[in-house]
Amino acid sequence: MDTTLPQRLIEQSLHSLKHVQNHSFQLNQQTIQQNNNNFETQTLQLKLQPIPLQPKHEETIVAAVDTSSMKIGETATGILIAVRGANVWKQNKSYRYIRLGPFIFHITEENKREVYNTLQTAYFNTQHEHNHHSPPNLQQMPTRIANLLERWLQTMLTKTINNGLILFDGSLTTGTADTPTPLMKEILETARKRRNIVLAFSKMTNLRFNGHLITDILLEHKPPYLLETAGLKTKPPIVLLGDVYVARLTKGNYAFRLDIDKQATPEQKIEAVEKLLGNDILQQSYPETLRLAHILCTFTANEVIAMQHFTAQAYKLEIINRPDMHRLLFGPFGKGDANA
Amino acid sequence: MKLYKKEGNIIQILSFPNETVEKGDYLLIEDADAGKALIVQVIDVQFASIPGILEELLRSLPDGGELIQGEDFDPLEIAPHITYIQDASLLICKIRATMENESLSPSSSWLPSRSQSTIKKLPIPALIKLAKIDGKLPIILGGTKDSSLLTIDATSLDGRLNIITGKKETGKSHLSKLLMLNLIGYKATVVVFDLNGEYLSLGMTTDGKRNAYYDKIHVLTPSQNFKVALKQLNLHVLLEILIHALHLPGTSAREFRRIWQSLKERDMLNMHELGEAIRNWHCNQHVRDALFSRYYALVNSCFFTDNVAEATFLEESMFKAKEHGGAIIINLRNTSPIDRQIVVEYLLAKFVELLTSSRLEAIFLFAEEAHLYLRETYWDDIVTRMRHFGIFTTFITNQPDTVRENIYRQADNIFLFNFTNEHDLEVVSRAARVDAETVKSIARDLPPHYCLGLGRVVRDFPMVIKVKALDVKTMGETRLFFRNIN
Repeated sequence: MDTTLPQRLIEQSLHSLKHVQNHSFQLNQQTIQQNNNNFETQTLQLKLQPIPLQPKHEETIVAAVDTSSMKIGETATGILIAVRGANVWKQNKSYRYIRLGPFIFHITEENKREVYNTLQTAYFNTQHEHNHHSPPNLQQMPTRIANLLERWLQTMLTKTINNGLILFDGSLTTGTADTPTPLMKEILETARKRRNIVLAFSKMTNLRFNGHLITDILLEHKPPYLLETAGLKTKPPIVLLGDVYVARLTKGNYAFRLDIDKQATPEQKIEAVEKLLGNDILQQSYPETLRLAHILCTFTANEVIAMQHFTAQAYKLEIINRPDMHRLLFGPFGKGDANA
Repeated sequence: MKLYKKEGNIIQILSFPNETVEKGDYLLIEDADAGKALIVQVIDVQFASIPGILEELLRSLPDGGELIQGEDFDPLEIAPHITYIQDASLLICKIRATMENESLSPSSSWLPSRSQSTIKKLPIPALIKLAKIDGKLPIILGGTKDSSLLTIDATSLDGRLNIITGKKETGKSHLSKLLMLNLIGYKATVVVFDLNGEYLSLGMTTDGKRNAYYDKIHVLTPSQNFKVALKQLNLHVLLEILIHALHLPGTSAREFRRIWQSLKERDMLNMHELGEAIRNWHCNQHVRDALFSRYYALVNSCFFTDNVAEATFLEESMFKAKEHGGAIIINLRNTSPIDRQIVVEYLLAKFVELLTSSRLEAIFLFAEEAHLYLRETYWDDIVTRMRHFGIFTTFITNQPDTVRENIYRQADNIFLFNFTNEHDLEVVSRAARVDAETVKSIARDLPPHYCLGLGRVVRDFPMVIKVKALDVKTMGETRLFFRNIN
């Protein structure tokens, strides 16, 4: 297994934190868990003939990946961020996980290029040509670093699991800074070689049919079922590597956008979802394995305090609490920067 | 430790896992700028309300209640910091005093700086020194939580009303014996109403040899070596016995008074003549019957004698005790409830008589389960009137609700052993010198032989005390049927 990226994550984390020693440290007034949401408001066709599903109990490994990032504070020169990722898999009726992190970085305008490029190179250089995207701005850095970690975790799963179902958080839309098409293609290719099927669940979507969000269209048909979509067109460099479905897998009014590897045959796609139904717990149409991956990598308030404690202790950061200007100016009407 | 919150006289302190603080410990919150410090006592230890803790716990149990198995690759070793934060505790503390220029005052009207104050544990020996708990007449009660000796001053029991309470087999009698023997050591006169014969062998060591107290322990068993002659009695004492212990109606009591005066005038005060006088007295038949029934109750108690020589032990013992210090143990073990009341009525009246005539200086009275022999009206009498005469009572009970509320209110010292029952703790917490939170929180967790000392003996700094062992034959153990099994 190539562990270059985790090693670089540690190195860059320690390196960036070294330069923050004895600075003052402003706690976040709003600590916001950052998730990568691609807002692509597009219309498409939805085939209203549901594809009924029968759970298949044939023993199949179900694995999932998720990452989380968070800004845990500010310094005079930059921000302190934390990143963590988790792989969860269900085998022999029990769940197991591997969790990486938290990795804490001090990102400044000066070091953001170095940090990002080093991490990118650590991952892409081993497999791909240099990525052409410029380094993100400071506020995007948590998500970007988390995405690098997520791709690495996805790669690890595709390289280690055979005949399994691999669940991603999000879609199989590529061509963004976080989802380079060649890289995603290679991940899917690796998965296919080991006879795995990649299923990507989006918690949110902006795809619409007849003006309605596709996940809001609930048929009378008894779940579980899939609704097939057609006609979704993307503009370069955006590429769809999966076919998009609406998955309503349990009773109740919950449905998700589900992207399934385009290269799989229609039968393989349906069989993959049926195996998922037969091998994982599904609540509110969402697979437990993916839910656990999300839960395990999400930072709790307690952990944020612990990370702030760690940085303050290990790097002698002086914690200061600047007044929240929104609160100061607008009192109870000031909701903070996030809602400004 | 960090100062978190103050509400009334309750201070909340945030404590971290490397700071070991327990219930009952004292802390010193020093504000150097103010030049003052607060002395607070930890009355409860709670989990600190850490944001996200519920999510953290839920996350560890997602798989149908079973722990999800996995590996954590935590290169920066954040996990110990998470544990550190999760295990933070909140110390609920009661303000006991303010220290300024090495002197203590009970004030809690100022607020120490939250950011600048330093908080540290106040060792019990330091507190004892500050509060001047040990005095010129030390009594070592036992050890404290930090293994130092806790010494109180015998004068803090002098003139005071004390209560020793706790559930069964927690060590109440043991403490009362310890106090009693130490008072004897300072030449005090002690009287014990010994309901179960637990104090009879205090003059012996555990291996049956005589100890230093042997000559100072005087055991008086009613109707055996403790009898009284009518000639020694005042009419009012006998009337108290007849009215309160034997429930003689008022009309009959008036006739009895006439009979008594008649016999006294003829110098014929003895049991035989009393019986004859009742038989021959011109009065209503019902009154006669009433008087006869009480007369026979007195006769049957065998407590009364016509032989004056038999009735001298009490006074002899009292005067010996006055000279050298000593304990008069009134053995009530095999005495019926009525006879117990007769004996106690007699004794209390006798003590008042001896004390008012200055033939005795003061008596430390130890009363075990007093509700079994003390009539209702005597409770107030003991804590108010008799205290002025010089009877300083220590009540020992495992049923705190049998001691009247006004006794708790006036108690100067309370030695509280373990209680788990909420109702019992509620009763004790009515004492004026104690706050309900302290009683309820600390007493519930006391192990056997540990007590919470409250009141003057500890200068109002409640302290958990491990009562020291005594090398005396205590006889307080329950005789068991299955004692030979192990």
